[in-house]
Amino acid sequence: MGRLLRSRPFEPATARSFPTQMLKRVALFAIVALYTAFAAGPFVWVATMSVRTTSEISLDHYAWPAKWHWEKFAQAWFNSNYNVYFENSLLVVASAVAVLTVVGSMAAHCFARYRFPANRVLYFVIFSTIIFPPQITIIALFQILVQYGLYDSLVGLALVYVAVQLPLTVYVLESFFARIPGDLFDAARIDGYSEWLIFWKVSLPIALPAIATAVILNTILLWNEFLYAVVLITDESRRTLPLGIQRFMGDQLEDVGMIATGLMIAIVPVVLIYMFFSEKLIQGMTAGAVK
Amino acid sequence: MAKVSLRRLSKRFPSASAPAVDAVDLDVAHGEFMVLLGPSGCGKSTTLRMIAGLESITAGELAIDGQRVNDVPAKDRDIAMVFQSYALYPHMTVFDNLAFGLRRRNFRSTEIERRVRDVADTLGLSALLARKPYALSGGQRQRVALGRAIVRDPKVFLFDEPLSNLDAALRVGMRGELIKLHHRLGATMIYVTHDQVEAMTMGDRICIMNGGKVVQIGGPLDVYRDPVDTFVAGFLGSPPTNLLPGKFDADRLVIGDNGLPIERRDVPENVIFGIRPEDVTIGGDGAHARGEVLAVEPLGAETIVRFRLSGVVQDVLVRGPRTVAARVGESVPLTFDLRSAHLFDPATLHRIV
Repeated sequence: MGRLLRSRPFEPATARSFPTQMLKRVALFAIVALYTAFAAGPFVWVATMSVRTTSEISLDHYAWPAKWHWEKFAQAWFNSNYNVYFENSLLVVASAVAVLTVVGSMAAHCFARYRFPANRVLYFVIFSTIIFPPQITIIALFQILVQYGLYDSLVGLALVYVAVQLPLTVYVLESFFARIPGDLFDAARIDGYSEWLIFWKVSLPIALPAIATAVILNTILLWNEFLYAVVLITDESRRTLPLGIQRFMGDQLEDVGMIATGLMIAIVPVVLIYMFFSEKLIQGMTAGAVK
Repeated sequence: MAKVSLRRLSKRFPSASAPAVDAVDLDVAHGEFMVLLGPSGCGKSTTLRMIAGLESITAGELAIDGQRVNDVPAKDRDIAMVFQSYALYPHMTVFDNLAFGLRRRNFRSTEIERRVRDVADTLGLSALLARKPYALSGGQRQRVALGRAIVRDPKVFLFDEPLSNLDAALRVGMRGELIKLHHRLGATMIYVTHDQVEAMTMGDRICIMNGGKVVQIGGPLDVYRDPVDTFVAGFLGSPPTNLLPGKFDADRLVIGDNGLPIERRDVPENVIFGIRPEDVTIGGDGAHARGEVLAVEPLGAETIVRFRLSGVVQDVLVRGPRTVAARVGESVPLTFDLRSAHLFDPATLHRIV
């Protein structure tokens, strides 16, 4: 859109069209500004609160920080256990996403590549689990984890995350893997590669844009995941970030300032991963990128 | 170098009613350039893929150098294949595309480097080694695909319509290069195409297939001159052989309202008369028939004229010289070179004479 606006002055504008053009541009700008305020407003608000104390906030909810309390971040990190929550979240999400990516792309590769009995049936069974809301399965999951001794453990939570996100991951990747021309696999077979090596050396590198998309989607979703975590984790030392932030919401008193600081800390990895993968993400979403 | 033999090789896909390849017998000699030719869906590509090991064999036997390889996986057959789509790995440079197969076979890196540079030199790819496939033109991609086969120095080269994605001028050029390559390497090559010009110009022998079966195997000119049946006669040649229904009456073969002086010897009364467009002369003294000119197609070097013979449903195509003074609607005498004509049995469609 920037280009659109910039290119306007170079076009010959007739006297009659100029006001309508101008009006159109103003209207467009207003809509974009409104949307930006709508999307970024709450974020900016939380950001300002993250450097104000709770007592300052309760005096005036929307005021600009009078004094910037940067020390709140250190305080949250060290005194309010955010370092532990952050580490737990990182462990659970990183391992779940790693397993999801590898297992998901292997499954997608098989579904897209090989003719075997019940290929479509299996694919449909896996994919159909998407329709169940988590509330239906959560009690069963709870019991399963208790029986296997995985209740209240990071490993158990990571496994649940893998199970919950696998269908969508396979779905996203399968459609991309299916678009890789079959001749490439035949060529690699003739070049002497086994099916296993073909997956690693041909399928996976070519599907990188789609894999990046899956990594981002899963990371953001799981990083913010609350329901499974709150049911399956109880110990303070094993809380993930969303649970840690929730700890500051007491019955009598909410430490709003600390919650805001915690939220800002929690956002950092999401922003980083977007910056790192965004180019690939766009490729993955727009691509018939194979040819 | 190797010889390849197919014994009653068959392929039936689970969902299909008829076999895709039906008891194909074929022997490809050491260093031979064999072309599998046929219309699309005739089973030629499936046959090639069975030789490559990319398609399982339903029945019959496949042997390379006398060794039965039915159950040997593709990677252990020591063959190389060039695909119609080129099948270059899009995430690798030209160098890596060429080296991919060698790396798997545990060549030393200096040896890989040497071989890749050699092949790149011969194919004019040296300046492109660092590029990725998307930055190459169609012709360059084709060369890389070819190079990937050559660099391996395999026993047998397989080509699956490798030139059909190229534009006409490039195709003629690459055809010449492939012929040269075959002479230089002296390797056994099996080449699938539906383009009869490629088949005629490149093949030591041509194996013509139809409906999953081998129809005829022979040298390009042999199959052109002596087709075994109406399919081969009608498939080879552009324009193809004229096939006209005829009936013997005493010492004449009657075609529509025209009589040709052909003696009936041990043949059924009804036959199909086949004659190539270049074996018909416009004019001439002993004119066998008169034809009405329907269309004149000047091609520069020659002229194709379409005639209607009285009493005959099929049009007759004639390949005339550059200067044919025929006008549409005109009636012109035609002379057939009866020594080059063939007779086919209308029941079996096989050639009788």
